Amino acid sequence: MLEISELRKRFAGGPDSPEGKLALDGISFAVRPGEMFGFVGANGAGKTTTMRIVMGVLKADSGSVSWQGRPLTYTDRQKFGYMPEERGLYQKMRAGEQIEYFGRLHGLSQSAAKQAADDLLQRLGLTERRNSSVESLSLGNQQRVQLAVALVHEPEVLILDEPFSGLDPIAVDALATVLQERCRGGVPVIFSSHQLELVERLCDSVGIVSAGRMVASGTVEDLRAAESRTLRVVVREALPGWADGLPGEVSVTGDRHVLLTTHGDDQEILRRAVKAGRVEHFGVQQPSLTEIFKEAVA
Amino acid sequence: MNGLMLVARREISTQIRTKAFLISLAITAVLVGALAFAPKFFDGPDEYTLGTVNSQQLPLEAAAPDAKFEWRSFPDEQAATKAVLDGDVEAVLVDGTKVITDGEIDSQLGVLMQSIHRETKLGAAGVRVEPLQMESVGADTRYEAARTGIAVVLVLVLFMLIIGQVMMVAMGVVEEKGSRIVEILLSAVRPWQLLGGKIIGLGVLGLINLATILVVGLGASFASGFAADFPPGMVGIVAGVLLWFILGYAFFATLAAALSSLVSRQEEVGNVMSPLTMLIMASYFVAFYATNDPTGTVATIVSFIPPFSSMVMPVRMAATEVPMWQVGISVGLMALAVAGTLAFGAKVYERAVLRTGARVKLGEVLRAR
Ligand SMILES: Nc1ncnc2c1ncn2[C@@H]1O[C@H](COP(=O)(O)OP(=O)(O)OP(=O)(O)O)[C@@H](O)[C@H]1O
Ligand SMILES: [Mg+2]
Repeated sequence: MLEISELRKRFAGGPDSPEGKLALDGISFAVRPGEMFGFVGANGAGKTTTMRIVMGVLKADSGSVSWQGRPLTYTDRQKFGYMPEERGLYQKMRAGEQIEYFGRLHGLSQSAAKQAADDLLQRLGLTERRNSSVESLSLGNQQRVQLAVALVHEPEVLILDEPFSGLDPIAVDALATVLQERCRGGVPVIFSSHQLELVERLCDSVGIVSAGRMVASGTVEDLRAAESRTLRVVVREALPGWADGLPGEVSVTGDRHVLLTTHGDDQEILRRAVKAGRVEHFGVQQPSLTEIFKEAVA
Repeated sequence: MNGLMLVARREISTQIRTKAFLISLAITAVLVGALAFAPKFFDGPDEYTLGTVNSQQLPLEAAAPDAKFEWRSFPDEQAATKAVLDGDVEAVLVDGTKVITDGEIDSQLGVLMQSIHRETKLGAAGVRVEPLQMESVGADTRYEAARTGIAVVLVLVLFMLIIGQVMMVAMGVVEEKGSRIVEILLSAVRPWQLLGGKIIGLGVLGLINLATILVVGLGASFASGFAADFPPGMVGIVAGVLLWFILGYAFFATLAAALSSLVSRQEEVGNVMSPLTMLIMASYFVAFYATNDPTGTVATIVSFIPPFSSMVMPVRMAATEVPMWQVGISVGLMALAVAGTLAFGAKVYERAVLRTGARVKLGEVLRAR
């Protein structure tokens, strides 16, 4: 299990802000093996800073990161796969060679590195570009190479900062499949994203950061349960006043009556609606992650 | 260790495949080769075309074995005069008593002809003159010209190679820092491995360059006959050059990596490196001065002071005989300086290379925990 606890980080300020910027204000969460953790939060909330601290690129002012119950060491991190927010590759190096090189740096043998590189190139649809220099690739394809670099050595943990940004829908699916596979193999995966539908679709659990603090975390279901549920009923050809005495608000457009309510006896409401007219819709509205997010960071 | 070697290997294989590397290697090889043939063109053996009218040829070869003489005979003085004025011959001996030339005679040739003429006449009269014995009681100056020549070429080669490779190190460091690839590199290898691998890799490329220059230079010297002028101990000089290149390069390259890790953009490299380039230039100038006066006090003292010694000592070793103990002390001091630089450079690099953005101040890096 990867545990992040009470991380604090203040960046030194310039002459205009001598007190600096508090980027992380005691952030904590944990990711279990085989869990896909979606890390969401507004711009500047502290996602990248957290990931950089986990990868040892930055030092936290206080707090700790532990892996399998022990403080995280350099040797542990060597087995992690990391995709930084600011992409970086050797521009003049060929895509395939670059992926192989990183495989070797992480300790793979020559043949294993080549095998893994070929495999990833194929999975990510880059086989034809194997011998192209990185600078000659489109942005999205460079991004795929960057992902392959993070994945090549079969990492024990994956830390990916906005891995889906800039990918076309096909590549998104390809990457999602690869990540789900790794996850099923027992790898904890943390990725940050602003594409909340994607996070909702892929992640077992979600953490919402705001201003350096974790404001909500848990499975999407848990987060939904914590939100108030809204019952939505649509009745056609009903007489005005059919919902008098029922909780909630009714809005009418033409002969369409829409009742929205967050409380009350749903069975009683259903009976009344059936009596009043033709029930076109009756259901509990699931708040989307986007709504949960907006609520949480508000 | 593995990481170090992988990084070094990548540096070598990327550079060696670039056109720039191959072209510059070819150009230096051609230049050095041409240099070895140069003495032949400017300073080849003297050649004279001489004529006779009603005279015996003078046995000039006996007195000047290095020079070549070609003789022609003319029927009369009129024909000879025309040939002299046309520049076909330099001097014509007429009737064994006078020499005609166009303007003043080449002084060496004049002295030579006079003395041989006298000797033949005296010999004919039965007088034998023992030639003077020549003996030098000073230092062996036979090879002085060749030694100075070799030293001048060496200092140039060392300077160009060191500054070239050192700039490559600096640009490589900034490339990795600026592109942020260093973030993922450092999740796989330690900073000292990344830094050391780069320095080793580019150093090996420098050595390949240097070895090519030495092989081509020596080969061409043998081919051109210039090697005949080589001073004794040429093997020692060549070995010294390799050793001093390694020491000097290690020193300057480590500092270059440390300094360049402070900036994030290629445009800033020149600026942040300027103190170091100035130091390399200063070493070069002192070394160049030493080619002129390799036994002088300045050259002798500076050949012990790192990092100047890395260029001055090999120059002194080529230009004159340097006692072994002096070389030993100088190598020892330089090796100490390299060790110190490595410790310092690795620390600065490690602390600065992940701090992207604005230029990091050196003092700040040193003060940080
Ligand atoms: N090197 C730095 N120096 C000063 N402040 C920084 C530095 N890096 C980050 N910050 C500040 O720390 C805060 C958190 O930034 P961080 O990059 O972690 O946000 P984020 O959640 O990744 O945002 P985004 O969604 O835009 O990527 C921001 O206010 C940012 O301005
Ligand atoms: Mg970010």
